Amino acid sequence: MAPLLVLRNASFGYSNRATIAGVDLTVDAGAFLGIVGENGSGKTTLLRGILGLLAPLAGTVERGTHAIGYVPQRESLDPLYPLRADEVVHMGAYGRLRGWRGLSRADRELARSCLARVGLAERATATFSSLSGGQRQRVLIARALMVNPELLVLDEPTSGVDRAAEVHILELLRALSREEKRAVLLVSHHLRLVRETVDEVLLVADGRVERGSASSMLHDELIERSGSAGSNPLTRA
Amino acid sequence: MDISWMDRIELFRYALAAALCASVVCPLIGVFLFVRRTSFYGITLPQFATAGVVFGFALLPWWVAHVGLGGLDLDTALSDSHAAMNYHFMWAGAFTFGGLITLVLLGRRGGSEIGRVAAAFAIANAATYLFGRVSPVGKSLVDELLQGEILGVGQHEFETLATVLGVVLVVVIFFHRDFLIASFDRDGARVLGQRVIVFEALLTTITGLTIAVGTMTLGPTLVFGLLVLPPLAARTYARSMMSFYFAASAIGVVSTLLGIVASFELDLPLGAAIVGVAGLMLVPGLVVSRFAQRA
Repeated sequence: MAPLLVLRNASFGYSNRATIAGVDLTVDAGAFLGIVGENGSGKTTLLRGILGLLAPLAGTVERGTHAIGYVPQRESLDPLYPLRADEVVHMGAYGRLRGWRGLSRADRELARSCLARVGLAERATATFSSLSGGQRQRVLIARALMVNPELLVLDEPTSGVDRAAEVHILELLRALSREEKRAVLLVSHHLRLVRETVDEVLLVADGRVERGSASSMLHDELIERSGSAGSNPLTRA
Repeated sequence: MDISWMDRIELFRYALAAALCASVVCPLIGVFLFVRRTSFYGITLPQFATAGVVFGFALLPWWVAHVGLGGLDLDTALSDSHAAMNYHFMWAGAFTFGGLITLVLLGRRGGSEIGRVAAAFAIANAATYLFGRVSPVGKSLVDELLQGEILGVGQHEFETLATVLGVVLVVVIFFHRDFLIASFDRDGARVLGQRVIVFEALLTTITGLTIAVGTMTLGPTLVFGLLVLPPLAARTYARSMMSFYFAASAIGVVSTLLGIVASFELDLPLGAAIVGVAGLMLVPGLVVSRFAQRA
């Protein structure tokens, strides 16, 4: 089966200055990868390059025709919008709507099933801003599922949510990866959590990206040095 | 002499119809200004449009002498603003879009958005009075434009306004989803394949058009009142984006109808009366949200 994403010697940055360079990366179906690194190391730059929001300064990025679901940082979305949870999920279908065409019955049914998949079927008509942090994150995952993504990219999905919500989100992502064979790419600064959740890690440091197994890349010393606190609630459960 | 209601409606039908058109469309544009946290644009850009109209009057003697205005002489062009409408629209549009594009470009450099927009308002406001000072129709024109007396709106002005706002309404209905996702989650929209820059440019264009033609026809007081106040009042009650659009427009229309009554009964300038009523529409929402906070 062809890989979902291939980066060959890719460099990304701003104003023609590379923040990260020489990235070689292949993502296959069902992969569960964490992108980690210190603040300012280039995690977000790499993420934007993978999503196609940033053109490579050098090298190539091949995404093929695979659908990508993107879950942004919750805090980046303004609570001023009086959006209902289902309206946010419907946005996942906007890419395929043209002109006067509104959402079809199938789109609405799909939105309901995506909300049910993340355990929020009953909160469909609640306003997005009134939901808890964890619930809003799950609504955004439901929105990403609307495109039936083969690759799901999440930016700090457990940032600022409580332990129970963390458990729920990570269990959900693990199920999407293992049961539905969707590749999951997860940006996080929570190293211990990443180590105990994902299969492999992309460590972004000094303008380079290094790939390896989560246990070998994120050793205790590195975690202590980074000051990353907390443990994986999945392993404590 | 006492004029009956029917006579007033007949006499001022174009002004009333123009105000009602604006009351439907301006709040819809205002909804996008509000959720994008750019409501200050709704105050500043009409001031740019006003400065443009007044600048047009200041330049009119030179323009008639050197460029020409379809055979109009200066006296006709000055005394009958309907005759030189396209000319005034050109200047209102040029100043509105000039201000809008400058603000957008400066916004990309970062810094304080509120400070930038406030400075732009101060400059446009001063420019309005300075251009008015050197214009052949002088201070009276500026006063008339600013106080929102719109009863003099004629058929041609109404038709121009209705045509432009009709197009804007169709564009909003057609592309409201695209405007929404481009505003709410720009990166998410791009990942979904949306042409965000195109929709942002389109939203900017219809905002500028609405403000330019609205200010030229109805004056800045009514236009910025309808852009800012109905969405602010509607936000308290809105429980979805769709209800937000409908509530903002409905509050705009109700404010206009009540403003017309108040204007006729109390002999107030129509534009200012409508904005006054739209301001009062904020009160129930403030009371409701106050009780909701206590509960």
